Amino acid sequence: MTYQTVGQSVARLDGIEKVTGEAVFVDDISLPGMLHARVLRSQRAHALITGLDVSEAMAQPGVVAVVTGRGLPRRIGACIQDMYPMAVDRVRYVGEPVAVVVAENPHQAHHALASIKVSYQDLAVVTDPWEASRPGAPQIHPDQAVYHRLPGIHPLPGSNIFHRLQVCRGNTADAFREAFLVVENRYWHPSIYHVQLEPHGAIATYHQKGGLTMYASSQAPYVVRHVICELLGLPPGRVRVIVPYVGGGFGGKSDHTIEPLLAWVARHVPGRPVKLVLTREEMACGTVIGRGALVHYRSAVSQDGMLLGVEAEVFLNGGGYGDFAVNIVTAAGISATGPYQVPNIKITAHGVYTNTPPTGACRGYGHPEVHWACERQMDIIAARLGMSPVEIRLKNALGPGKVNAIGQQMESHNGRVDLCIQQVVDALGGPECFLPRTNPCVGSIALEPGGIEADPLPHPTGANASPKAEPSGACAKPAAMPGKVRGKGIAALMKCPIMPTNAQSGAIIKLEEDGGVMVSVGAIEMGQGCHTVLAQIAAEALSLPLERVQVAPQVDTFHSPYEWQTVASHTTWAVGNAIRLAAAQLCDKITRAAAVILQVPAERLEVVGGRVQDRERPERYLTLQQLARGYTDARGTALSAPLIGEGNFVPQGLSHLDPETGQGNIAADWTFACQGAEVEVDTRTGEVTVLRLVSAMDVGKVINPVLAEGQIYGAAVQAMGAAICEGIVFDREGRIRNPSLTDYKVPGVEDMPELQALFVETPEESGPYGARGLGEHGAVCVPPAIANAIQQATGLEFFDLPVTAEKIIRAQQKRGVPA
Amino acid sequence: MPEKIRFTVNGDVVEMAVEHHQRLLDVLREDLALTGAKEGCGGGECGACTVLMDNEPVNACLVLAVEADGREIITIEGLARENCLDPLQEAFIEHAALQCGFCTPGMILSAKALLLRNPNPTEAEVKEALSGNLCRCTGYKSIVDAVLAAAEKQS
Repeated sequence: MTYQTVGQSVARLDGIEKVTGEAVFVDDISLPGMLHARVLRSQRAHALITGLDVSEAMAQPGVVAVVTGRGLPRRIGACIQDMYPMAVDRVRYVGEPVAVVVAENPHQAHHALASIKVSYQDLAVVTDPWEASRPGAPQIHPDQAVYHRLPGIHPLPGSNIFHRLQVCRGNTADAFREAFLVVENRYWHPSIYHVQLEPHGAIATYHQKGGLTMYASSQAPYVVRHVICELLGLPPGRVRVIVPYVGGGFGGKSDHTIEPLLAWVARHVPGRPVKLVLTREEMACGTVIGRGALVHYRSAVSQDGMLLGVEAEVFLNGGGYGDFAVNIVTAAGISATGPYQVPNIKITAHGVYTNTPPTGACRGYGHPEVHWACERQMDIIAARLGMSPVEIRLKNALGPGKVNAIGQQMESHNGRVDLCIQQVVDALGGPECFLPRTNPCVGSIALEPGGIEADPLPHPTGANASPKAEPSGACAKPAAMPGKVRGKGIAALMKCPIMPTNAQSGAIIKLEEDGGVMVSVGAIEMGQGCHTVLAQIAAEALSLPLERVQVAPQVDTFHSPYEWQTVASHTTWAVGNAIRLAAAQLCDKITRAAAVILQVPAERLEVVGGRVQDRERPERYLTLQQLARGYTDARGTALSAPLIGEGNFVPQGLSHLDPETGQGNIAADWTFACQGAEVEVDTRTGEVTVLRLVSAMDVGKVINPVLAEGQIYGAAVQAMGAAICEGIVFDREGRIRNPSLTDYKVPGVEDMPELQALFVETPEESGPYGARGLGEHGAVCVPPAIANAIQQATGLEFFDLPVTAEKIIRAQQKRGVPA
Repeated sequence: MPEKIRFTVNGDVVEMAVEHHQRLLDVLREDLALTGAKEGCGGGECGACTVLMDNEPVNACLVLAVEADGREIITIEGLARENCLDPLQEAFIEHAALQCGFCTPGMILSAKALLLRNPNPTEAEVKEALSGNLCRCTGYKSIVDAVLAAAEKQS
């Protein structure tokens, strides 16, 4: 199939605005009469509020209002209504909003915070999801049984577990009894920040006639609108949410974060806009954090390396409120077996309340947490069997005819993880770089000591030494310096979007008077380039040159079509489908109008190259320009009306998971990939240098290769941070020790490895021109690929992230190998 | 007490009274409506507020407005001349060296300072010059490529 625009690396539509400083973000907006808000945040992780006196703050210069949680009408939440937008009588994490000062300028608002008096009665604190799940742990939501929640959410009343998902297939007891080898380990992925460069911000005006207008840095204007409507008792038509350019999302601006809080604050100063922009340190505790999961993983394997069974327990940190994490628990549960067919499965995923900031969506959404376990486990199993890590993955890989953990059978159009694995292996130097480790343990059933035997604590903090592979031949690169060792590792992945079964995406295409089109969507441009890709899809579907297609850059709930939210790597797929439907409708309207004018049957007309023409006599045509405002004949009589096409898409055939077995059709499509790393470890300092990151992904048809590569490179470097340097540190009192970018190191340009992105393009039947999602996937299995490479280089097995220099040095000392 | 300062911003002479505690970033964004310089951290960690002061890159969040007295400031708004993009701006578009765009103005100005003092930098020199600017979207590869391409085009 040849295309005109699809498949081309066209330049971004927003390029000029973004390189000239013209692109407007929320904090660049200033409205007449605008006030400024600053938030007093709890310094206690778990406490009852016994006193709150704001009278002195009210008297400070410039202060217009001090808003507290008193009088909040109801709890909010999209899945579980378990939170207020600010504390009412109890705080559950350090950073929870307790009071908000509104003043004429930001400095006045900031200074008045110190005059607010709060007294607390402390309660016991727990920040670890596994500890919080144990009987006797401090109860963070003692009344969770009465919370309103959606069907399909299974809390354990009397505990901190707000959702538990079970996935069961076959009979694991038999599988483990018959297994040649059982490998059991615990893995830990700490909480991390998203580190969007643009801090969360919003401006809200509560209108004196009732209603609210908000500018927000959000991935989810329709979710924000819904929650504000519920909170303030307003109809949707009275709440307008406008999203200008968003400076990075990565999930951390999805659902809702500061918006309900600011809506409640604006309610107290009707008629005046209020701006709230968080500081970098506030982003650490005042929005959502990502990940935070303990995975206990047990694999049953046959002698020839076939996975017979998996038993896994996942404990995902929900933080103080679980609403945003419910579906992450589900995602982790259904994807814990990775891109492999496993006949016997018993997985339980728990979402657990703790005293940390709430966990929200974060690029990968449950998948990186469980792939960290699954893909480390595969390397360990391969070593125990004396197999190559490549061979064991290819043997067990999902593919056409195979069945995944929730009982969905893969079709040939769903993609080829085996090809992705082969491409990465070839790029890294070929199969000879991934030989079986020497002196493997074979011939008996053995319990892998892993993290468990070595460390009785729930978190494996150390590492164990295993035999080291000895690469040879062409791929055995000499290390640059003495004291430095190199290794290569791979990890494979499967990721599906986790969405409501009726997740909606809409598109409107308006024919403009010059014969070009204006496309409106509800999808947010937050850097991923979706508006450019969607313009390409519209241009292709309408047979127009790309320069005749515009996409409205601002999303506005007053007139943009409905969109569930810009998450789940579903925009190209779902909104692209909506655009194709809208384009089809517009073409239909064009041909029907032209049929009347040209006196040709509509079926004989085609829309091509900015014209509608008779297929049989192409010299009979009208330009789209002639039709845009309504065609008039020589007498001035209008023969047609202006033309707009609309398209609305929902995924087909999805259903809720079975509550007992977790089986069902919840995933609309999958993207398979493999990622590989080459690392250099300095055995004297423990420092890891990532030399190369290679990703091969079956994304279906690539709509824009350069933008697709950019998504993969960016995701890979982000996840490299999670692999070797990122992780939020909580102290015993639940305070974050590293809220700033000085103490929380993210990769800089000097850390950038050599990056490579390869595409397998198995066309996706349900996607526009065969495309499927790719935005998050590059972040899913970089950490296990890097840790597997570190293992090859050093012989050290790591089970908890990040694999820092300190951990490597400690592990070497524990092993007793001199540096 | 406000203090009078006189400085050049994108070629225009500006005279204004500033408070001693006012940051250059606030004066640019709030008083002069030049919102291209972004505040990403307020602590000199991210580089999103980078502007040129006498052709040297500075974090405008760490520079007091009074320090700009007598200096020449260039912001991202001043880089394109007469509707003609700077070669760096063109190269950033051509190489897809931007995604969300929030770090882009600072990134381009750090690169501009480099090319002003070193028109033919090596890849290592580009990386060093950009090491104070964080980007969370691109993975940096396209940015380094763009700066090297702009240098080559200029020379």
